[in-house]
Amino acid sequence: MATVKLTNVKKIYDKNVVAVQDFNLDIADQEFVVFVGPSGCGKSTTLRMIAGLEDISEGTVEIDGVVVNDLEPRDRDIAMVFQNYALYPHLSVFENIAFPLRLKKVDNDTVYQKVTEVAEILGITDYLMRKPRALSGGQRQRVAIGRAMVRDAKVLLMDEPLSNLDAKLRNQMRAEIILLRQRINSTFIYVTHDQTEAMTLGDRIVIMKDGFIQQVGTPEEVFDMPVNLFVAGFIGAPQMNFYNTELVREGNDYYVTPFGTKMKVSDQKATGLRERGVGSQSIILGVRPEHITQGTPGAPDSFTSKIVVNEMMGSEFHLHTTCPDGSECIVRIPTLKLDHDQRAALTAGHDINITFGGEAMHLFDPETERNLLVDDNGTVASTISEKEDI
Amino acid sequence: MKKASSIRRNRIMGNTAIYIILIVMSIVWLIPFVFILLQSFRTENTWMVGYVIPQQWGFDNYINLFTQTSFLQWYKNTLIIACFNAVLQTLMVMMMSYALSRLRFKGRKFLMNAMLVLGMFPGFLTMIILYYVLKGMGLTQSGAVPGLILVYFASSGMGYYVFKGFLDTIPKSLDEAARVDGATRFQVMRKVVLPLSKPIVIYTVLTAFMAPWADYIFASYIAFGTSSGYNVAVGLYSWLTKDMINSNYTLFCAGGVCIAIPITILFMCLQKYYVEGVTGGAVKG
Repeated sequence: MATVKLTNVKKIYDKNVVAVQDFNLDIADQEFVVFVGPSGCGKSTTLRMIAGLEDISEGTVEIDGVVVNDLEPRDRDIAMVFQNYALYPHLSVFENIAFPLRLKKVDNDTVYQKVTEVAEILGITDYLMRKPRALSGGQRQRVAIGRAMVRDAKVLLMDEPLSNLDAKLRNQMRAEIILLRQRINSTFIYVTHDQTEAMTLGDRIVIMKDGFIQQVGTPEEVFDMPVNLFVAGFIGAPQMNFYNTELVREGNDYYVTPFGTKMKVSDQKATGLRERGVGSQSIILGVRPEHITQGTPGAPDSFTSKIVVNEMMGSEFHLHTTCPDGSECIVRIPTLKLDHDQRAALTAGHDINITFGGEAMHLFDPETERNLLVDDNGTVASTISEKEDI
Repeated sequence: MKKASSIRRNRIMGNTAIYIILIVMSIVWLIPFVFILLQSFRTENTWMVGYVIPQQWGFDNYINLFTQTSFLQWYKNTLIIACFNAVLQTLMVMMMSYALSRLRFKGRKFLMNAMLVLGMFPGFLTMIILYYVLKGMGLTQSGAVPGLILVYFASSGMGYYVFKGFLDTIPKSLDEAARVDGATRFQVMRKVVLPLSKPIVIYTVLTAFMAPWADYIFASYIAFGTSSGYNVAVGLYSWLTKDMINSNYTLFCAGGVCIAIPITILFMCLQKYYVEGVTGGAVKG
């Protein structure tokens, strides 16, 4: 039940290693914000600075309007779930969850009532008397979440809480965190390197790289309008395909010309490009694998790519193909409506005709690697800000 | 089948060899203890003899030890020192190790290196200066007991290596979790780190308790000829001089057995806390 505000936060380790650069973020009350990025991007460091486990080299962190830079973790009214659970091995599950309450000298009846309540929500009532070592990974993580919940802390911090679980359990716990979030009114800050977790959990996603924030936005925003090549490649799986090609302006219309084709950029995007005064230039064209469809051979808006690997994912094929210029292009083809012959044509060694619509195109400047439709302040062209239907 | 049985035979032979070696070693180990124990019950005379099994058995030596000699005084002295040492040294080592393991402060590396180098010098190099310091404080001769407690306590922080090594194996995320949960540094140590360090705390208590019983050089120097300030090692050794040994040899043996008693009792009481794997389940495992 609190706002969190980070202003120009910086983290510099000894020997001038900069882990976090100029981090600015306003987190609203009860918002669920996810920090996501590859290893070493500074996301965990930022979280630990909010928790008070790392000193803040520069800038301020405010919780509910109070600057907490110099407050000990215990005075910040935060709770945290660690990647490795960090349960107290000498205490029973009950005492583990009760630990924060015991420190506050809460009376026994209240402790009992609160712990059982939390245990019920998390479905760990049967294990309350066990020691953590007698629990499975998923149960341990529930206990760790329980310990964080029991305090009704203002801010709930989660540092890659699902990374140590196997894939099935991870999906299950992810759903449970969404349910949990509806039951408690804390502000959530969640760190992960998994873009699926980020997309499914976050109200807003903060994408980081090398200590810098790359983009802050809702899952839809970062998916539909990535501000640069990094975000475009990071969000979405399999990752976006990139082609080095030319953008051609003809009057009010724009075309891209990958591999000798000519594909029209959607009107909405063209309006945005016109607003910005973009002319003909070299670009990096990005297209998500799921937005690629099979074209008609010989059509001017499609090109041929050679299938190298066909991954059968069940509901769809992931085709790894080689474009005419040798670059890789991944295509997702739903399997539902394919007959036997069509499937046979999608195996390795065959050619596939590729096309995509103008609204699926993401246009990046090859030098700045920025999205041509987003200006330097991160503002999206006015005509685009309403979600395109793709 | 043939192969399996030959593997089994090899294993049995290997085990037999190991057991024989172990039995021989334990006999060699135990001989001095058995010898002392037997001699302490020998009552036909008090001097050294050429046989091991006593001709007359009895508790005379033990009775004489506590009624006719100053042994009780020495014993009390040592017990007091040992108890204080066990508590104070353990506290000191604990705090030192916690600080060096968990806190990051300027000069931490230097401090650890400096103590490592200092630790390479034998302790009794400082004896002369310490003697004068203690003498100035009135803590020599009859004041040797508090003097020794002070000296042991003051130097105890240097023995942090093993304890710190153990603390380093306790995941730091437990500390961090506790701090976020609302614990002060002291509460982190008392409620999380300490319960997990039980085996090493026990080890520290035992070594701290045992050391004063065996300290001779320093204890004899501080007590310096005043019998009321002796610890058992110094006291018993004073019986081994040329003119004393014949009247005190069996008493010496009885005294040796008495020293082993408190240490053995303490060890047996604390032994069960030597549980390994206490950190199991703390973090991913």
